[in-house]
Amino acid sequence: MKDRSPALLMAPALAWLTAFMVVPCLLILALAFFRRGIYGGIEYTFTLENLGLVFDPLYAGIFLKSAWIAGLAALIAVVLGYAAAFAIAAAPARRQPALLFFAVLPFWSNYLVRTYAWIVLLNREGLLTGIARWFGYDGELPKLLYTEPAVVVGLVYNYLPFVILACYAPLSRLNVEIGEASRDLGASGWTTFRRVTVPMTFHGIATGFVFVFVLSIGNFVTPALLGGGQFQMIGNLVYAQFLTANDWPFGAALSMVLIAIMMGLLTLQTFASEKASGSGRHD
Amino acid sequence: MIETLLSLKGIAKSYGSVRAVSDLNLDIRQNEFFALLGASGSGKTTVLRMLAGFETPTEGQILLQGRDIVPLPPNRRPVNLMFQSYALFPHMTVSQNLAYGLEMERLSRAEVKSRVDEMLEIVQLSHLSRRKPDQLSGGQRQRVALGRALVKRPRLLLLDEPLGALDKKLRGEMQMELKRIQSEFGITFIVVTHDQEEALVMADRIAILKDGGLLQCGTPHEIYEHPGSRYAADFIGEMNFLSGRVRAGELVTEDGTRIAAPVPADVMPGDTVDIAIRPERMKIGTTNLENMVKGQVVATAYLGLDLQVHVQTALAAKPLLVRMTAQEVDTAQLVEGDDVTIGWTAQDTRVFRA
Repeated sequence: MKDRSPALLMAPALAWLTAFMVVPCLLILALAFFRRGIYGGIEYTFTLENLGLVFDPLYAGIFLKSAWIAGLAALIAVVLGYAAAFAIAAAPARRQPALLFFAVLPFWSNYLVRTYAWIVLLNREGLLTGIARWFGYDGELPKLLYTEPAVVVGLVYNYLPFVILACYAPLSRLNVEIGEASRDLGASGWTTFRRVTVPMTFHGIATGFVFVFVLSIGNFVTPALLGGGQFQMIGNLVYAQFLTANDWPFGAALSMVLIAIMMGLLTLQTFASEKASGSGRHD
Repeated sequence: MIETLLSLKGIAKSYGSVRAVSDLNLDIRQNEFFALLGASGSGKTTVLRMLAGFETPTEGQILLQGRDIVPLPPNRRPVNLMFQSYALFPHMTVSQNLAYGLEMERLSRAEVKSRVDEMLEIVQLSHLSRRKPDQLSGGQRQRVALGRALVKRPRLLLLDEPLGALDKKLRGEMQMELKRIQSEFGITFIVVTHDQEEALVMADRIAILKDGGLLQCGTPHEIYEHPGSRYAADFIGEMNFLSGRVRAGELVTEDGTRIAAPVPADVMPGDTVDIAIRPERMKIGTTNLENMVKGQVVATAYLGLDLQVHVQTALAAKPLLVRMTAQEVDTAQLVEGDDVTIGWTAQDTRVFRA
């Protein structure tokens, strides 16, 4: 007889997710195909106008801008996170759990609090200005807060632990002898890193990148707080459609495209990891 | 004239207060198949890693054709190591694994390809050149590892327990294969092993290491027939041991039986000694040998090639092991409980100071 216990164990969680996440999401997304009522609300006649509007240069531009910011944040986070994970994996084995704990520590505090902390740092009379003053600098610092770099910095900071964890896993499992074999065959340390270490841990890098990208592109808190009022990413646009413009159908259309992008990337990443783990195993 | 390829001069390695290798001196000749034999913890792997460049000796010099290679990093040494775990690159195909080392030498693409193809031929992997390591059997992976090191044409190839991961039958085949490849290529091989049989079969010379020091170095025949110590005698092959003592110029066992044997010069009257005799040097049913002892057969084990007979004697608490050839077996027809006489010559008896 076939063992049904896996299905039974999964059923409650699946039912919960279906009833309270998948179904409401589908209901919201369905709104994308209806007209907006003249005084807000929804007029139930079928239309593709909302989806068409998403590709209007104005909104497509915001999509591109969001993708650029998310891509930049993901790239920086991967470089920093991979280096940190590499250092942790190279540390003595008994110290690694503590180092990992410290790397992930900011995660246990509230996202908002962490983002506000950056306001305190970057503010015109904030901590950085204070430090510059203390070193005797009297002039004006360039504007730090409410800029694009501030948003990127905030996103990198918030999602860095994801990358460290994603990269640490394959790095810590790497057989040291494989690196030694590369050296033995005549490769320098850098060549070994480039041709052996990175390819063998690539699924960690890809996972980290996609995570940061997906979480960043839809983010609305960081751009709102660190980017200031004028700065808009997709997340802010969706937020505005639902809560201020009261245009739910357009908000739904924007969300639909955003979700499609995220799903596409996550699927790609899953396939890439599966392929990597298929050939990356060794004993 | 036999030329020395590699000289270890006073090599020592300590990890903090732990001494892994101490004052090791060895000369390894051109085209030699050399075995470093030792139990785990004997320092043999540390020696190998110092030769490859992964460990730096605390003291001493490693001279390769007269040049000290200690300051050179692993990638600058004309030495290659075949790892015990094989350490194949899992993300590369068999061909790519073999090509890697040649690419590091910045050879032309055509040259890399021709040398890789040639090596694939030699290690009989041409038909699997596009497979990844995890799609290969243990024996095939072993040949990739060997090919990857050999394709670089090193002056010295180091092999760390090369056959350890293979099953017994495959191991036998590969022992012969390694010997064939070694003589064909004319490359000096240093193989590290804990398996004395493997060392005896493959090596031109064996160095036995114990506790980080050199115990004895010699040809398999020298080491087998003239072990320099009780440890070496015990480690290599099978051996019967009797404890005895030198009394009034005579060698006697604990029960007082006189043993005829050449007594080494360092044994003084009154010293306790270990007396060692190889099982195949003991004869059952012969007369006129210098040492004759009565005993009773307590067990026999038929191995096809020979018969192992366990004979209880008064000489030792443990039964003595006697190996009889098939011919001897046919004439003797021994069964458990038979009373027998065992004989051996003085010349076949080794004596070590205990």
